[in-house]
Amino acid sequence: MTEPDSVPAIGASVDAVMEALSRQQYVIERGLATAVYLALRLDKPLLIEGEPGCGKTEIAKALSAASGGELIRLQCYEGLDASAALYEWDYPRQLLEIRLHERDRTTEQLETEIYSERFLLRRPLLRALEGSGPVRPVLLIDELDRADEEFEGLLLEVLSDYQVTIPELGTIRARTVPLVILTSNRTRELGDAVKRRCLYAYIGYPSPEKEVDILRRRIPQLPEGFAREIAAFVQRLRGQEDLAKRPGVAETLDWAAALLALGEGSLHSAQVAETLGLLLKDARDLETYRRERLDSLLAAP
Amino acid sequence: MSEPSPAPEGLRFLLRVQGFLDRLREEGVVVGVGAGLDLGRAAALISPLDRSAFREACRATLGKSPDDLRTINRIFDEYWSTLGTVPIPPASEEGKVPRPRDRRGTPRRLPPHRRGPEPRTVTASLEGRYSTRAPDPSHPTQLVSPSELRRYRLGARRFRRRVATLPGRAWHRSPSGFVDFRRTAVRSARTGGEWIELFRRDRLPRRADLIILWDVSGSMREHTSSLFALVHSLHRVIRRTRVFAFGHAIEEITGLFEGQSYARALPELSGRLAGTGGGTQIAYCLAEFSRHWGSLLRATTTVLIVSDGWDLGDVSRLRRELERIRRAAGRLAWVNPYAAEKGFAPSTAALRTALPLLDLFASPADFPRPHGSPGTLPRRPGGPGPVP
Repeated sequence: MTEPDSVPAIGASVDAVMEALSRQQYVIERGLATAVYLALRLDKPLLIEGEPGCGKTEIAKALSAASGGELIRLQCYEGLDASAALYEWDYPRQLLEIRLHERDRTTEQLETEIYSERFLLRRPLLRALEGSGPVRPVLLIDELDRADEEFEGLLLEVLSDYQVTIPELGTIRARTVPLVILTSNRTRELGDAVKRRCLYAYIGYPSPEKEVDILRRRIPQLPEGFAREIAAFVQRLRGQEDLAKRPGVAETLDWAAALLALGEGSLHSAQVAETLGLLLKDARDLETYRRERLDSLLAAP
Repeated sequence: MSEPSPAPEGLRFLLRVQGFLDRLREEGVVVGVGAGLDLGRAAALISPLDRSAFREACRATLGKSPDDLRTINRIFDEYWSTLGTVPIPPASEEGKVPRPRDRRGTPRRLPPHRRGPEPRTVTASLEGRYSTRAPDPSHPTQLVSPSELRRYRLGARRFRRRVATLPGRAWHRSPSGFVDFRRTAVRSARTGGEWIELFRRDRLPRRADLIILWDVSGSMREHTSSLFALVHSLHRVIRRTRVFAFGHAIEEITGLFEGQSYARALPELSGRLAGTGGGTQIAYCLAEFSRHWGSLLRATTTVLIVSDGWDLGDVSRLRRELERIRRAAGRLAWVNPYAAEKGFAPSTAALRTALPLLDLFASPADFPRPHGSPGTLPRRPGGPGPVP
């Protein structure tokens, strides 16, 4: 395994990680930056858990953009298996090859030929391991908690040794170790075996100052005073005990963009009520807050 | 990449780290050898003298859940409070390090957490009492007989088959399923367009996740033994089961059941439930559950509430919370310890509110019976099932 050139740039220190991600308009706290730095330097996958919409997926995109490495994304879902995540044989082409050469080749020759890399369909995990450029790719395994527990078993070899064993071809090892980011919304507990192989970080809801910073960076045309007003309102909303689903940073950004598009410069009850659906994604929450609680939330200091 | 070099203080530092790992393990954080090595490698990259950076390195390498991170924060503050100056605990006879001495040469007194565990004089069952005359708040727990336990497990299996198995996302061929016109049409091409055989398919049954919400308030105390046998059996039989105990508040107690035999888990449970007597606030607890663990609820989740329904809270709020769970989960069931008694009627406001939303209402006594209620449910979801 070679030492990738990108490491000294982004992985030189915790400060370098913070600065590189800051250039990508990603606001990162020192704790998370330390975890990213260690993941880069120790060649360990990084498991990031946290509230939905708080920037778990974004960090992989920002790291890819900052390091110049290709972002390879594996979106997990129930029923995901090796053929969709790792590799699959191109059966139609193999059949065609057999038909074409069934007269002029022996069975052994045909067998060797059709189980060669030419007939291998590479899925995200294998693509991430086959990268050979100077810059390490970023492999994002997104929402791993949505996949079945059995799928975690498939990941173990990749996460610990950065290699994959294909029975017909042998073991394929990564020449350039990818930076692996796994994310989970904690809809279920991940297995110990996966956790053991990863460094760990948790992203919670941001502080008011951080949220203002994110708003200002992501929507530069948003006036600072209005950004503070929006962030304060969202923070108050998140503090409500009876919400079924609290708004994340992604919802705040959408809401701020919507208010700006509507030509607003400050929060007014009518406009907030009309656009509240961008923040609250539960019908009952929306109904309760639109009818009864909005004015008190807006009036709160 | 260069090999990690020993940390600045060499052996002294490594022994301190080892003591830190041991302390975390005592607090229930699972720290493997690999995680310890990762921390050692991280310490070669990040100076341990930079306290906040070292704390973040500990969190990244040793933590595996938000609870772990909280514990690491707490123990870190306690353990590394005087980084580099606190005496080093002896790791073994061979690597024993003499206790540091002060200016006069007197050995320093070890901090409390290094002196070894203090003998516990207060038993779990007495915790939570205001005076010695107060009624015993512990839950009386007795082992049920092995044959009874076996019957509970059979009942739990029946429950798994008939209630906690729901149609999943994958399809399979099934003679009693829906007609798949696309496949039937494709197949008919073989027979010149004649529809000789109808291709039928159905959703592949998937074993559901089970969430048990167990009321451990005072009114449920006398049923603790039988309910524990039931909950333990369900946890053992259904692989993905999470157990939550509630009364005034709600907490997860799945850990009590994991890897524990029935006989060994029971005393632990008794200690854990000590002091949980008193009234129940079902609505509040369900709201807390939805807030903190609501993401566990999916179409393939069965929620089982074990409660007598004696509630101190607001009924309309209870209805709202039950409806929320009903919408998010695949099935909602309720086990009431009094349901099998002669002349039982669901007279409490909470039960009357809950009944229209339930797929199953049963008694714990139904489980050990060969033909108890868990066998009478319809296989498919879609509205409340029969309520005996």
